[in-house]
Amino acid sequence: MPVVELSYIRLQKLVGKVTKKQISDSLPFLGLDIESENKDLIRIEYSPNRPDYSTDFGIALGLQGLLRTKTGSIKLNIKKSKKYAISVKSEVSKVRPFVTGIVAKNGKIDDKTIKQFMTLQEDLHFGIGRKRKKSSIGIHDLDKITFPLIYKTANRNFKFIPLNSKKELSISEILKNTDVGKDYGSILGNSLQVPLILDAKQNTVSFPPIINAAVTIVTTKTKNLFVEVTGINKEDAEDMLSVVATILQSAGFTLESVQISGAKNSSPKLEQKKMSVSPFLINQTLGLNLNNSKIISSLKKSRLDASTKGKNIICTIPAYRFDIFGPMDLVEEVALGYGIQNLEPILSPSQTLGQKHPNSISLQSLSSIMTGLGYMEALNSSLTSKRILYDNTKRDSSKIISVLDSKSLEHTILRDSLLPGLIDSLAKNIHESYPQKLFEIGTIFNKTSSVTEETHLCAVSSHKNANFSEIKSILQSVIQSIFGKTCETKTTTHTTFEKGHVANITVNGKIIGIIGEISESTKENFKLRESIVSFEVKLHS
Amino acid sequence: MLSQVFHDIEKKIIHSLQPDQILTISEIEKKTGLQSDQVRRGIEWLKLKNFAHVKESTDIHYHFGEKGYEAIENGLPERRLVNEIEKGNTTFDKLKPILGLDFNAAIAYAKKNNWISITKNEKSTELSLNKDHQESLEEKFLLSHKTLEKNKTNEIKVSEDSLFAIVSLKKRPDFIVDSSLIIKKISLTVEGKKINLGDLSHSSGAIDVESKVPEVFVARTHPLKDTIDEIREIFVTLGFSEINGNVTQSSFWNFDALFTPQDHPARELQDTFYLDGISAKKIATPEQIRKVSESHKKNWRYYWDIHEARKMVLRTHTTCVTIKHLAENKLDEARIFSLGRVFRNEKVSYKHLVEFHQIEGVVVGKDANLRNLMGIQREFYKRIGITKIKFWPTFFPYTEPSLQTMVYNERLGKWVELFGMGIFRPEVTKPLGITKPVLAWGGGIERIAMLKYGLDDVREFYNNNLSWLRSARKCQ
Repeated sequence: MPVVELSYIRLQKLVGKVTKKQISDSLPFLGLDIESENKDLIRIEYSPNRPDYSTDFGIALGLQGLLRTKTGSIKLNIKKSKKYAISVKSEVSKVRPFVTGIVAKNGKIDDKTIKQFMTLQEDLHFGIGRKRKKSSIGIHDLDKITFPLIYKTANRNFKFIPLNSKKELSISEILKNTDVGKDYGSILGNSLQVPLILDAKQNTVSFPPIINAAVTIVTTKTKNLFVEVTGINKEDAEDMLSVVATILQSAGFTLESVQISGAKNSSPKLEQKKMSVSPFLINQTLGLNLNNSKIISSLKKSRLDASTKGKNIICTIPAYRFDIFGPMDLVEEVALGYGIQNLEPILSPSQTLGQKHPNSISLQSLSSIMTGLGYMEALNSSLTSKRILYDNTKRDSSKIISVLDSKSLEHTILRDSLLPGLIDSLAKNIHESYPQKLFEIGTIFNKTSSVTEETHLCAVSSHKNANFSEIKSILQSVIQSIFGKTCETKTTTHTTFEKGHVANITVNGKIIGIIGEISESTKENFKLRESIVSFEVKLHS
Repeated sequence: MLSQVFHDIEKKIIHSLQPDQILTISEIEKKTGLQSDQVRRGIEWLKLKNFAHVKESTDIHYHFGEKGYEAIENGLPERRLVNEIEKGNTTFDKLKPILGLDFNAAIAYAKKNNWISITKNEKSTELSLNKDHQESLEEKFLLSHKTLEKNKTNEIKVSEDSLFAIVSLKKRPDFIVDSSLIIKKISLTVEGKKINLGDLSHSSGAIDVESKVPEVFVARTHPLKDTIDEIREIFVTLGFSEINGNVTQSSFWNFDALFTPQDHPARELQDTFYLDGISAKKIATPEQIRKVSESHKKNWRYYWDIHEARKMVLRTHTTCVTIKHLAENKLDEARIFSLGRVFRNEKVSYKHLVEFHQIEGVVVGKDANLRNLMGIQREFYKRIGITKIKFWPTFFPYTEPSLQTMVYNERLGKWVELFGMGIFRPEVTKPLGITKPVLAWGGGIERIAMLKYGLDDVREFYNNNLSWLRSARKCQ
């Protein structure tokens, strides 16, 4: 979950007349988790579906609703302007077909505001931008740009001074030598032409989705902003723009429109949408009996507008709330506005009779049989290491099943046997008193054309006098009590076991497992001294 | 007092010490005729039963070292220096070869005794004798041992007169060496003295029922398994039936069927374990694939790729098992749960495992609603002994509305997150032909087991540490 850092004092200024306690009590009921708190600063985890909550401006809008300092939908007031225009060349359609934008004027920007804008930008890039692939954003100092702009392509030798650089770099150099270039260059693929936004004086504004030009950098002296969003589809680009526009308006900027034309592009509308929801669905889903006015006031607390129309409620949803897909999302907005803390849990009698899975019943009784025989139950991970599963036991690794890019070196392959894990458990307990007797019941994985799973039982016994007869006696009584059958042990060889002290376990002539004394060399590999005997059988697949 | 049973060894030792002897081990050996290890063992037993005292004392013995014997014979270096000066050897240059290695010590002690004066001139350093250079206490002491044979076992008798000389000479290397010896003296306690060895009950063939015995350990089911079994039992009694499913799943059921877009960050390698080079051949019915992909394309606006859906993963939740079951069985009224291992590609720490157990349940029915879902949670927590709970809103890609339970951890003094829950989104249920509302919840079992067993490190459950397994309480 993404995290944003906020200040109570700033939040109080933004929300209106509320106490610090009211804020901290309300945050969880917006779906925000307080991760840590240090005097005025709080770190908050928010859901990736709510990019507006990546800034204190957005969280303040939510708090205003819950604390009733301001309710209802947030309307964008965008002044229609003809001063700002972007024309799009058709050549961009192959690399990054869409651009959209907005102008925000007369705002105050301090260090903290810049920090909030940066987390917003990061969140948008990572979340709905899908690591800038789907859409990406650039925020610029409006006064450094001469309109109209042109969105076109350039070849990789094209040069400009990018952000955080003092000299001109070519596109190729940016992609090869800068961090952002290395991280996001792959989005552009092998295309010889890359997208570029130039201003009327042919100065570079932005090289999306990689980097802005240095000249348009936003500082605490900046008053007016130009925001551009580029992307691979128009709806996503405009969704991203709507979040930024809403946040900038809440931060005190006045918005002015940017006209966009050319190559299937058009000016963004950022309009509210209407959605109908039935009070019946709301009450049925929440288990409540709310009248329409209560439903409407709850929706308003969730910063939406609503009114009754016939049997239904018509909801007005601002553009930045694109997380609302359908009526069920509105049900949740009613629940949040109503207050989750006001929902009283109820326990209805069950209409069904419960039962355990037959496998669970048989495995539970097998566990009690094994403990009855004096064996302690162990649990190992299914994901293990090549060292334990194959190298130390010298087992055949030709059907190894690996996982990709594990973050833990001890967990890189799926076990195809329980025995190596149990020997490793013995190795971890050499300081504990003997005899040590362990068993494990668990899933193992076999590589076939895909993967098949089997449930196995494995037992190990380790002490000075551990021998084949001891473990065969245990095996016999286990097989007798779970299958009601006798088993036979037939001479075989196995790399993990001592030669001449190992056998296949057969029931009705079918091999179901292996039994024997662990070889000296296996013990050495695990740095074990005491004798070990073991069996492993397949229970069912 | 209950009558005591004594071993023969104990009886012999008691006999040798009664009525109030104080003996060393070797003295007891002699008196009883027992071997020394038998005596030692017997004394340990009696000591444990509080019938015998063992008092340890340390004796220090002094002997002359090499240098000591040399001084007895030739005099201390400072005396030899005085003798040479008297002979007329008064300069450093002359004295050094005569006194050899003892030269520095001779000068130092002669000066300390105030026997000599040193004057330096251009050519040499001259020594002269002071008026008083009588025999020192050390010399007196050494002379009194003139007749002592040069033998390491010859002990020096310590008297009030000799103590100062011994202490002073001990400061010089190898003049006097000491050795210490620990002596154990054994005696009977008050209780021990009261023992009547004639009492027949001490020798009636009875055994010592009060003595310590070797430790054996119970074999038991794993504490985490106990918690899992307990949770299974609770849901069965609440009317839920258990279903099982595979650990390895296609991305289709793990993600796509649950409305998680293919370009969603949670699907990336960093969070999910993908099986290297393994894809599912048949993932679902053609209709299921078509409808699920359409829902993705319409709502998430991207190119849906069936190859992505075929990739095999280690399930990140058991919800994939449930949704598949619901899609296959189209139930109108049901309570179902599933228990099993789930996987996350994370760094292992005291808080996180790559592999843990999850319980997950659903209620299907036309009247299933959010308050009922909360009620089932509250009842479950009550049955595992957690009563302080609250609900907070949260977000999951496949449920709407979504909540999480917060439970109060008394030991940590804070609210911790347990189960997540919600109602399956229409975008999940509709493409799979599920028409009734589905309440769903789930969460990690290790977290609950940690609360029950008071553990702070979740890795303990998979360490198979015998000292913990052998000592963890069975009934929590």
